[in-house]
Amino acid sequence: MAERTIELTVNGEARTVVVEDRTTLADALREQCHLTGTHLGCEHGVCGACTVLLDGEAVRSCLLFAVQAAGSEVTTIEGLSPADGSLTTVQEAFRECHGLQCGFCTPGFVVSVTAFLAENPTPTDEEIREALSGNLCRCTGYQGIIKAVRLAAERLQPANAT
Amino acid sequence: MAQVMAQRFTGTPVKRAEDPRILTGRGRYVDDVTFPGMVHAAFVRSPLAHARVVSVDTSAAKAAPGVLAVYTGPEMEALIEPGPYGMAAMMNIWPPAHSLLATDKVRLVGDLVALVVAETRYLAEDAAELVEVEYDPLPAVMTAAQALDPESPLIFEDLGSNVLAGPKVTTYGDVDRVFARADRVVRATISQHRHQNVPMETRGAVVDYRKDSGEVEIWSANQGVALVATVLSARLGIPREKVRARAADVGGSFGLKIGAQREEVAIAAASRDLGRPVKWIEDRHEHLMAAGHAREETLEVEAAVTNDGDILGLKVGIVVDAGAYPGLGGMVTNIIEGMVPGPYKIDALSFSSTSVVTNKATYVAYRGPWAAETFVRERLVDLVARELGKDPLEIRRRNLARREDNRQMVTGRSLAGITAYESLEEVLGRIDLPAFRARQETARNEGRYLGFGVATYIEPAPGTRANGPLGAEQMRMELAEDGTVLVYTAQMPHGQSHETTLAQVVADNMGVPFEGVRILYGDSAVSPPGLTGGSRSATMAGGAALTTARLLRDKVLDVAAHLLEASRDDLRIENGSVLVAGVPARAMTLAEVVGALRQPGRLPEDVDTELKVENVYDGGTGGWSGGTHCAIVEVDLETGLVRIERYLVVEDCGEVINPAIVDGQIRGGVAQGIGAVLLERSAYDAEGNYLSSTFMDYLLPTSMEIPSIEVVHLEPVPLDPVVNFRGVGEGGMICTPAAVCNAIEDALAPFGVRVLEQHLPPARILELVGVIEPE
Repeated sequence: MAERTIELTVNGEARTVVVEDRTTLADALREQCHLTGTHLGCEHGVCGACTVLLDGEAVRSCLLFAVQAAGSEVTTIEGLSPADGSLTTVQEAFRECHGLQCGFCTPGFVVSVTAFLAENPTPTDEEIREALSGNLCRCTGYQGIIKAVRLAAERLQPANAT
Repeated sequence: MAQVMAQRFTGTPVKRAEDPRILTGRGRYVDDVTFPGMVHAAFVRSPLAHARVVSVDTSAAKAAPGVLAVYTGPEMEALIEPGPYGMAAMMNIWPPAHSLLATDKVRLVGDLVALVVAETRYLAEDAAELVEVEYDPLPAVMTAAQALDPESPLIFEDLGSNVLAGPKVTTYGDVDRVFARADRVVRATISQHRHQNVPMETRGAVVDYRKDSGEVEIWSANQGVALVATVLSARLGIPREKVRARAADVGGSFGLKIGAQREEVAIAAASRDLGRPVKWIEDRHEHLMAAGHAREETLEVEAAVTNDGDILGLKVGIVVDAGAYPGLGGMVTNIIEGMVPGPYKIDALSFSSTSVVTNKATYVAYRGPWAAETFVRERLVDLVARELGKDPLEIRRRNLARREDNRQMVTGRSLAGITAYESLEEVLGRIDLPAFRARQETARNEGRYLGFGVATYIEPAPGTRANGPLGAEQMRMELAEDGTVLVYTAQMPHGQSHETTLAQVVADNMGVPFEGVRILYGDSAVSPPGLTGGSRSATMAGGAALTTARLLRDKVLDVAAHLLEASRDDLRIENGSVLVAGVPARAMTLAEVVGALRQPGRLPEDVDTELKVENVYDGGTGGWSGGTHCAIVEVDLETGLVRIERYLVVEDCGEVINPAIVDGQIRGGVAQGIGAVLLERSAYDAEGNYLSSTFMDYLLPTSMEIPSIEVVHLEPVPLDPVVNFRGVGEGGMICTPAAVCNAIEDALAPFGVRVLEQHLPPARILELVGVIEPE
């Protein structure tokens, strides 16, 4: 199968990767960029575990070919996380609200929620539930996750920023 | 009375130790593990439910780019020893004999036919498509009724029929007398449908066989590394000490990922054959189709009742559809039998059971595998109430055993310490039922249908000592050089948060900070043998952590008494330091204690200076978890949709180690129970084609369907002088389907609907009320 070289920015770093046309963005991130925080839960675009930001927008990296991301900026869960090992407001809220158990779906949720709160900083509960409905979690029953989104939204309000 | 310890951590919602790595994408799940020179596996799976394999032509596949090997069934058999795999290996279920990959026939859609190993997964899948298999189709056996029909084809010729186990009939108490005394007998046939665990991480493994040493290392998604190593050792025919089974983060399981499974044995054999590390990660299509299904059972029940509402005795006949290969389906009826009386005063039981094989995925354990007992009993209680024209709550109040009764189940289990009755009363104290009934009446007049349902259960978590052996839990603990307490547990957490809960218990009982404890697991070379499952962890691993930490603490104090030249009785460990009563200046940190032991001559020769302990915890008095769930629903008769307006759990799992984690376990189980009733079904057509192999067909609950779940804990009843933590992993899933179905039947009461099944998606609701014709 023919391979081609593409250039993209991953977590702020310029990367050159060699991929087949059929290589998914998720596989390129996991196998060539060694960013294994992006998880594959279904590979047909339903579960949301593979969610990454493509030019700031949440996308399913299992449904995109790597070549479609050429020239774009990709942010994965590793890129969202502060380099000093601390947690973002969204991550810390997930931890405080027990929004994860086995954790396999968690990176996808954190990326989706980060994008969602950037777009809608003051969501209602109904909007939160709807925003989360594209990510599947089998462990938590979602309650801790919904609570975490509410808490993160609250803390991210400009008046509450430290 | 127990020695009173300062409880700084136990009982509080300590933030999880697991979270920072997982939240930042640094978890290590099986697909994140790589080895140098690693190659990739893909399986060729059967498109037919039942067929003879006439020929398998692998020549084109072998010639495809990047392919290292293609194995057919007979080629694979030549590489391995015969025997069971997965959970069947734990229970030693064998025969009927069966091969790892198909040799003579395939027995389900998704059955393994050939294994392709190639440089990449993409190339392995390309080559798998080039394997030419000629099948001679056989009629598929797709229902238990077909399996029991002597005219049906045999799935295993050796078995002589399609009956895997039974029929077995057991009688407890004087069934004839009780039924003769009854005013009436309430009869029903109640079924549970096939659905499945669906962890968000599928199965998978990486196996590295080292030709130089003959050692094999496997990383896999599993619930216990010891059984993985045992199965691989047996199936590869290599000594157990040469198998190292490992796991780090595991993305959920719910009973599925037990032992080395067929695929894992096959890739291990390939790794040995090729001398290369081999990885196989199941895709979701394979997973939903063939990883294993659960719960398909039909129960014919009869209840002997008085007109006042006393339930005197039960007759239960169960048929389990165990799927294609022997697994839990052959023996789950034994647990259902023991548990079916539940927390009720039932004096007689006749129980007959049969398990049959069919051309469907193998029956596996799923969160509370015996849950049929709760579903059928709690449905039956409501059906009895309806037949007698009484309130289901009144029937429960009359028949639930109370703690002070000190009863045994008629099947023999002691009911010591159960709080089922209290949990029902607590629910009723929190719901204004008269107000609900008034609202229900008003709503009905407006064409809206609200319903109220409760269900009550108990769960052996781990059960009382009188119920038989609880199984022992091994643990090892030692002090590291820096004073950290290293805890080697037999548990293999996959969402249960043991790195947090066990550290909480150890920290309190050792006298160290939470951060001063490291929980180590998932390596058969160092982890004690064991398994996470069966709601055992809180009692067994929690108890092991508590008792082992106290042993280690005592050892440290013995040594410190010499080092500090103080009376041992004046010493205590607090916040990681040994303190001398009244002499604060003479404190030593645990790191200093360890350091001092390295200096020769500091201690008399007869003092044991090894700061390591090994301990086995036997479960103590054990005990039950249990509770009552309550659902309030609204059923929309235009769409058939059921909306859960309120869901309340009143629960008793003894002393809570971490309330956030306990409530998380309960809510997760309730969500799975709601999914089972309203959404999930592993569906086949009559020919055996699998219809639910994507997340567009197998619907998991999302944030839109799961309501806020209220959880209330009863005051714990201590049974054991030391350890009163009880398991909580399965209860949510066990009780929820009955509570939701009872509420739906209540909502549909104006239509005279009887709910005799567990799966109630919109179309079925509309059929039940006659809006649409049944299919």
